[in-house]
Amino acid sequence: MDASIFAIQPTSAEPIYRQIVEQLRRLIASGQLSPGELLPSVREVAGFHAVNPMTVSRAYGMAESEGLLERLRGKGMTVAPQGRGSSTTAQRMALLEPQLADVARQAGELELPVELVLRRLGKLMGER
Amino acid sequence: MNAVLQASAVTPEAPVQVRGLTHRYDGQTVLSGVDLALEPGSVLGLIGRNGAGKSTLIRAVLGLLQPSSGDCRVFGEPALALSDQSKTRLAYVPQQPEALAWLTSQQMLEYVGRFYPRWNAAFARDMLRDWDIAPRKVLGKLSPGERQRVDLIRALASQPELLVLDEPAAALDPVARRDLLREIALRAGEAGTTVLFSTHIVSDLERVASEIAFLHEGKVLLHCGVDETKERFARLWLPASMSAAAPKQSLGHHRHADGSLSLVIERDAQGRWPEASALHGARVDALGLEDLFVEIAG
Repeated sequence: MDASIFAIQPTSAEPIYRQIVEQLRRLIASGQLSPGELLPSVREVAGFHAVNPMTVSRAYGMAESEGLLERLRGKGMTVAPQGRGSSTTAQRMALLEPQLADVARQAGELELPVELVLRRLGKLMGER
Repeated sequence: MNAVLQASAVTPEAPVQVRGLTHRYDGQTVLSGVDLALEPGSVLGLIGRNGAGKSTLIRAVLGLLQPSSGDCRVFGEPALALSDQSKTRLAYVPQQPEALAWLTSQQMLEYVGRFYPRWNAAFARDMLRDWDIAPRKVLGKLSPGERQRVDLIRALASQPELLVLDEPAAALDPVARRDLLREIALRAGEAGTTVLFSTHIVSDLERVASEIAFLHEGKVLLHCGVDETKERFARLWLPASMSAAAPKQSLGHHRHADGSLSLVIERDAQGRWPEASALHGARVDALGLEDLFVEIAG
């Protein structure tokens, strides 16, 4: 696994450390990164993308406190074993949060009642 | 990270400390009461329009001009009376380097290298090659861009504790610029080099800067961590019918032809946007640094 797993957009309104954490969440949730896998070092990521190493450290630290990553002594950051308990549901819900917030905002602008939107969402999910 | 809040706690050994800096030139006020402090290992991107006072500020910080009033310190010493020892700990690349024009780039690097205890000759040699500089051409015959590249190599090879760059990106193509940014980022992160650089290419700054300072009409309008800046500010758009609800104080404020209003809003201590942003029909846009800069300085 090298530093090219991340795609960084410095000009985005989203801070770079958040972009990295968000991409880690997705890569892990989708299984593209599996538990125990070693992540590229802070230096590799900073050098490859020409970004400040403190930004990368901040992202890794945040991912560690969320339980996504685990710091192994002498090895570096690895993907943490992912439990199947309530924490993973919360993690998966968190991934959907931006899209849900967007739907909520747009539904508000269109003056649609909550029940109607929820019913439709339930139907969309049931259809799958 | 939040340098504004930390400013009062800065130790006397802060690499750069500026207090109440004012400079007038030809009857014009170029800098007006600038306060600025850099912590060791921080990378401060100084952004401002042409003529905002960036170069003047940098020159005053380094003691290269005597300001009308105010105090500039480097490593705790008055900038105008820096010791030789402190001078070997810093490197400065001006926008248009002119010194030692009669030497070839190779000769110049060999010559100045003797004055720096931590000079990295191998780095200088490799960079001359990577950045395509003819080592045997005299500096006076190089293009302005080549000239600045040689000076950047000189500055980086001296492995300074404080690196000051005035518009370094102007002379570099995108590949060389990325090389420079990588050097800046890794040195700040690993060797603890403190970097002050001015630019109007905002995307460079977003990659490597830990902090940003907006200089506008001689004043620092905003000095904040790069990540915090992106999270703390946004643009609020209000249709004409609601423009009366706009917050009274705002960094940037533009009324459009149809009476609608765009303004820069800031989260409060609890992380909330001002009340007007929740009005029906109001729109909040996240802002990259470039957009924020245009809103504030435009």
